[in-house]
Amino acid sequence: MARYHWLRTLGGAAISVMFALGASAQSRPAPEQVLSVWYELVLDLVRHTPTYTPPVASRTLAYVGVTAYEATASGNDGLISLAGQLNGLTDLPARETGQAYDEATVLQAALAGVVTHEFSNTGPTGQRALAAVRDKLGAAVAEGLPADLRDRSLDHGQAIAAHILAWAATDKGAVVENMGFPQDYPVAETPANWVPTSKISLQQHPLLPDWGQNRPFAMPDGATCDLPPPPDYSEDKGSEFYRQALEVYEVGKSLTPEQKAIALFWADDAMLSRTPPGHWISIALQVLDAEKADMPRRTEALAKLGIAVADAFIGCWNAKYQYDLLRPVTYIRRVIDPNWETLLTTPPFPEYPSGHSTQSGAAATVMTALFGEGHAFDDNTPSTDGLPPRSFASFWTAADEAGISRLYGGIHYRAAIDRGLDQGRCIGAYATALKTRRN
Amino acid sequence: MRHSVQGAALLLLAGLSVAAAEDGPPIPKFAEDTASAGVVGTYKGEWQYMVGGGAASFDCNGDRYADLLLAGGESPARFFRNTSMAGGSLTFAEQVSGLEVDSVTGAYPLDVDSDGIMDLVLLRVGANIIMRGLGECRFDPANDLWGFEGGDGWSTALAATWEKGAGWPTIAVGNYIDRAEEFSPWGSCTDNWLHRPAGDKGFAPPLALKPSYCALSMLFTDWNRSGMPSLRVSNDREYYEGGQEQMWQILPGQAPALLTEKDGWKKLKIWGMGIASADLDADGYPDYYLTSMADNKLQVLADPKSGKPVYKDVAFAKGVTAHRPYTGDDLKPSTGWHAQFDDVNNDGLLDLFVAKGNVSAMPDFAMKDPNNLLLQNPDGTFIEAGDKAGVASTDSARGAALADFNMDGLLDLVVVNRNAPVQIWRNVSDAPGNWLGLALHQPGANPDATGAWIEVKAGDRVTRREVTVGGGHAGGQAGWWHFGLAASPEAEVRVIWPDGTAGDWQTLAANGFYDLAPGQAATVWTAP
Repeated sequence: MARYHWLRTLGGAAISVMFALGASAQSRPAPEQVLSVWYELVLDLVRHTPTYTPPVASRTLAYVGVTAYEATASGNDGLISLAGQLNGLTDLPARETGQAYDEATVLQAALAGVVTHEFSNTGPTGQRALAAVRDKLGAAVAEGLPADLRDRSLDHGQAIAAHILAWAATDKGAVVENMGFPQDYPVAETPANWVPTSKISLQQHPLLPDWGQNRPFAMPDGATCDLPPPPDYSEDKGSEFYRQALEVYEVGKSLTPEQKAIALFWADDAMLSRTPPGHWISIALQVLDAEKADMPRRTEALAKLGIAVADAFIGCWNAKYQYDLLRPVTYIRRVIDPNWETLLTTPPFPEYPSGHSTQSGAAATVMTALFGEGHAFDDNTPSTDGLPPRSFASFWTAADEAGISRLYGGIHYRAAIDRGLDQGRCIGAYATALKTRRN
Repeated sequence: MRHSVQGAALLLLAGLSVAAAEDGPPIPKFAEDTASAGVVGTYKGEWQYMVGGGAASFDCNGDRYADLLLAGGESPARFFRNTSMAGGSLTFAEQVSGLEVDSVTGAYPLDVDSDGIMDLVLLRVGANIIMRGLGECRFDPANDLWGFEGGDGWSTALAATWEKGAGWPTIAVGNYIDRAEEFSPWGSCTDNWLHRPAGDKGFAPPLALKPSYCALSMLFTDWNRSGMPSLRVSNDREYYEGGQEQMWQILPGQAPALLTEKDGWKKLKIWGMGIASADLDADGYPDYYLTSMADNKLQVLADPKSGKPVYKDVAFAKGVTAHRPYTGDDLKPSTGWHAQFDDVNNDGLLDLFVAKGNVSAMPDFAMKDPNNLLLQNPDGTFIEAGDKAGVASTDSARGAALADFNMDGLLDLVVVNRNAPVQIWRNVSDAPGNWLGLALHQPGANPDATGAWIEVKAGDRVTRREVTVGGGHAGGQAGWWHFGLAASPEAEVRVIWPDGTAGDWQTLAANGFYDLAPGQAATVWTAP
């Protein structure tokens, strides 16, 4: 199994594998390795932790990214802390002047603290994996260090984690009840409004209706990048609304193999995948590995991308519950074809705008700013589900494809996709504007 | 020595009508006999025992009363001989049987060598073991004798059938995670195994059923009434990658073939944990209840005439999602395990028991998660009655068995809990309907007629049960098949035997136990 190649170096005879990957017999895991191990675990835990729907995943990915960045920045004079730039983030604990720190140990302690807390609700297998990484990677990182250096580095990493967690506790997103589905919610009764689309009892109320009120990271508030209303609801065959629904219906009935492959590649279903924000973090990890990026570059990219997708979900959810629009499956079965089936499972919340589109737009904005226009890359994120990798000429090519995949899948109208991407572009600009470099 | 109080009980029952509740089906009454029944034990252990915890009920000393084997996890399994009196309290005596093996996750009774003495297959963390019944509830390992390779897996599911013309059963074993995977167990589902006969001398080396997706329940079931059961596998989506629920076509002499989208099979991904089957809608085809986390599923064939394995989920419409606790103030989603259809109030309608319990300190799921007893209404919907019936325990349940332990015509209940003592309840319903207890016997191989269908006609209702080995969660039942008859004083009964031969309809008087064999009139069996 290719995954977790760093993790597998930590057990018994397999330690030699780590050395074969470039480390000398005397070396301990480098900060890059520590970062890689924790991100692999985080993406697995996103897939396997019950409350981790896409908005929740995006929030944690942002905090993990900021943690890694601040742990790195605190020991690098060329990097600027995000304190004072991100909403509510105050100055982080400083290092002791004139004292040495071990960067891998600082990072290990900081990530262990934040990840363990943010996934405290994961199941027994996740807890077992968390403990294994925390303890065995921690031991490998600390091996051979002078005690004072080790303890000082651990203390600093733990202090960063404590600061980040205290900050995270106040954003209104820290507690997720009933898997994110309210026990009661007044589902509107006008024809244009969202109604449940499945016969799953838990999903008779929509997911996280208050998520749009959470404190964002970089943008001022959830309504910052509002978007125009969707086309007016109408069952008139001459209306724009009908036309857009008919497009979803007709495209869905005659999907080409390529369209179907695109829909499945970007499906990113909650609790069955790394989710849409996890998909973009996975892309970033692949791009950073390909570039053999250094730690400032890695942590800067992961922090900004995490912030962008987290703010995207806040902004998108703010709009979703403002417009509260019904899903294509509801409209099409009501007006066009009562027996219509979607390729993808319709998510249990209002339609407009498309979450994947908004967050892909935000992600592409950040990634393009970091890596440049026309940065081609391959993406193998869904390979664990047996899907082949796809190649993209740029981050915006990928974002556009992620957006249109939702139309192919039958779960979004075109307006939600186009305007979602626009909304993401607006939101992503706030993350891009964060200052991380002194030069 | 048993003293029969059953005769009096049967006289009391005879001719009584069902005590219909004003607004629904009759509510059965259960009295917990845990403290007095002599059944003790706890399914315990750490990570490798978060699943499993099965109960097997079967008769191993020829008295026709159901004895019990309970999985123990890290502790040895425990065997209890049934010493109950007919119609009396539930009593058991723990007895050294040879089944006291550690690392047992579950057990299924199966007369492997068709000698008329029940054998048991023990599922384990480690090598699985077939325990050969020697009589008088003594057992010996028979892996070497019968060429059964126990392997070294984390086994969590079992199903068995007799393929056409076979003298020995085909046994499917479901396996879970690669337990050596500490860092990343996700995606490490190990192969399920198909143990087919090797002529008349036992078993061939097992075939790996690829792909395998961490099965927690399996059932050989004739979903399309072809006469050749397929293997339904319910898988835990927590651990597979690219997986789904499965149905394998198992044809004699051929390699197993997985049903695919081309066959009409629809992808379904759930935390599959248990399977219960019954023909609830009387269309002649089995329906499947699949336990999971939060919503559970009830699958019915969308269009039986099409011959395609396309199922639709009617759990919501029928009121059996059982997705969160119905007692207490813990309203988080539920976690379902063993499921079993049976008629607990003898009203002629199959009811549904679901064992519930948190996997292990998962705070987003209910910690106080009562077991469900869902009673079927005449319109096919179900209503929860676990609390009113007295079985709404909130211990962390896993396996269970509904069986008539005291032979009074009422189904009793045993539940295995993880890290809490086993519980057993006696059905003490005071005005139940009439009933039948039926046992199948056929000469030669497959003496208990696995794969047969029993049809019982009472009034204008026909109840059909498929005789299966497998399903539930990590445990199975062998012995009497129970049918409620409501107020009917008699019923028409016939058996469609595993070879497809339909027996004659026979009229049987209510409230009795009958032995049925091909080409023979039913014979009454009276509890001693």
